[in-house]
Amino acid sequence: MNKKKKIDFKSVANVLLPLILALIIGTIIILCLGESPIVAFKALIEGAFKGKLKLGTTLASFTPLLLTTTAFIIAAKAGGFNVGVEGEVFLGGITAAYIGINWTFLPKPVLLIACFAGAIVVAALWAFIPAALRMYYNVSEVCTTILMNSVALYITNYLVSGPMSAGAANAQSDPVTVTLPQIMKPSSLNVGIFIAIAVTLLTIYVLNKTSLGMKIRMVGTNPANAEFAGINPKHTFIKAMMISGAIGGIAGAIEVLGVHGYFLNNFATGLGTNGMLAALIVKNNIVTAPAIAFFIAVLKSGAMGMQQATSVPKSLVDTITAVFIIFACMELIGNFRKSKKKTDEKQA
Amino acid sequence: MELGKIFNSSLIYATFRSATPIIYAALCAAITQQADILNIGTEGIMLIGAFMAVAVSYLTGSWILGVLVAMVSGLVLAMVMAVGNIKFKSDICAIGMGINMFALAITKFLLNAWLGQSGTFMSPEIKSIPKVHIPGLSSIPVIGDIFNDWYITEWLVIVLIIVLWFVFYKTVWGLRLRAVGRMPLAAQTAGINVNAMKYQAIAISGLVGGLAGAHLSLGYSTMFVENMTSSRGFMGVAAMYFGGAHPVFTTIGCLVFGFTDSVGARLQANGVPSQLVLLMPYVVTIVVLAISMATKMSAEKKRKSSLVTH
Repeated sequence: MNKKKKIDFKSVANVLLPLILALIIGTIIILCLGESPIVAFKALIEGAFKGKLKLGTTLASFTPLLLTTTAFIIAAKAGGFNVGVEGEVFLGGITAAYIGINWTFLPKPVLLIACFAGAIVVAALWAFIPAALRMYYNVSEVCTTILMNSVALYITNYLVSGPMSAGAANAQSDPVTVTLPQIMKPSSLNVGIFIAIAVTLLTIYVLNKTSLGMKIRMVGTNPANAEFAGINPKHTFIKAMMISGAIGGIAGAIEVLGVHGYFLNNFATGLGTNGMLAALIVKNNIVTAPAIAFFIAVLKSGAMGMQQATSVPKSLVDTITAVFIIFACMELIGNFRKSKKKTDEKQA
Repeated sequence: MELGKIFNSSLIYATFRSATPIIYAALCAAITQQADILNIGTEGIMLIGAFMAVAVSYLTGSWILGVLVAMVSGLVLAMVMAVGNIKFKSDICAIGMGINMFALAITKFLLNAWLGQSGTFMSPEIKSIPKVHIPGLSSIPVIGDIFNDWYITEWLVIVLIIVLWFVFYKTVWGLRLRAVGRMPLAAQTAGINVNAMKYQAIAISGLVGGLAGAHLSLGYSTMFVENMTSSRGFMGVAAMYFGGAHPVFTTIGCLVFGFTDSVGARLQANGVPSQLVLLMPYVVTIVVLAISMATKMSAEKKRKSSLVTH
């Protein structure tokens, strides 16, 4: 019991300390720009929460982020570093848009399900490629997924400016015939947030309470041992990556069906990266990651308010978040303790 | 579409020209890979180098100073990664991606707050890296077209490839570096300071990465664009895998991407949709990487099966 408490303290401190360090650096930069940090941070908080529109926007940007975070974590639990979530969001989105526009012969509820199913299948297949390459040919999945993000981006880019174009000035598709109901107008918050939460809860359950989750965690910690215990590490890894892709696809479908109502070019830029960021900050702890994802959503939507109220550019928020993640990756507390222990031993 | 317009002698230089930034990036990744450190942060190191080179060249009017500052800023960023990975035990992929995000954000921020621009920064006051014009060469028909008027950094990359090959495989330092990469414990037993070697490798890699960025923004083009590296760092890492961190083979990998890129640019002029052209280098990278890793793996299997011990 005592031991467990200690670990909790450590993991909490390992998130808080980097956060404080990052905020200090941010404060210094804001001071250098000749602005008041208090005004800037107040504008940031107000930009994220004040009024129905802003709160709704924050929650709406939290929705895909929660999913991409979960997607990254499930791959990470099997030992994969899936940077490709962003590409999966794009492809999920374009598939949902295609089905939503063209399969009008289906009744509406079935069409909605078909949109999600299509998004899930395409995104999972997309994630299958790097996973299989990794397992059978030992090609680094970090490399392939990053490159495949660009491929996915260009594919969707081509589709919405060519075959699927609505002919508007901005590259975008025709509106889909079925949408997710929006719940907090005038913001774009929609019922997708409940889907996102449900998917996350389901993932937590699968990871911790089912045999598949057990296998994934075993393969992630020690593939050789897992193989010895009769688990096929290759199949398990590929499964985890495909689930990860599928979750990314759901995020894309929600964005298209719920937020925009059509496929907007480049709509998912940064979603995958930010989800990865949230996961990395808490070292792939799936229970605390949603909180970080929410925190990042607040920062992102608050940054706009800050930029409007002060002369602080919103890219500063990205910088602070990046500093936060760099510190959060390091085991600052553990290291301090160990070195303290060492010096204690030396003194004794 | 005429094939003669696509495949002609100027394609050779075009290939090399678009491959050079990737070669620099791949060498940056290869140096650390020899010590078994996957340098995912190449992209970020390159980006910060590209920005600093343009900023300093613009403010001081000296391209040499720009290149030097770019290399130093690459070094600083690489050292953050080194300290995080070696001293504070962070996962190399995680901190590498952190470095990439940081570089993307800080260059955007500095572009806004320091230079007062957003998106693209172009100015006639940016001094670019000069070209090397060899007077006698231009009179020779084909050779003159291919080898004349290269940027200094394009010649430099060839020197760098040879130097790195020599350092890796012909010097004591290189042997130690590879020993650290192959088996750190054995290296340590042999009296090599493993962490010091890793720090040195990442530091040199940072300098090369900064140079890669400087070449991209002062040689390959004369401007800075947000996220202008556009995955060239990652392509470099892929090429490094392709070449097994050997400078020469790695370069061959980069030339394949450069070739795709420049053929694509010519196809685009002939009416192929631009997006399909733009995604080609990425697809080729993945395919080439997969094939090379697969052949490597089967070769290893063959070698192992001839040495069956149990």
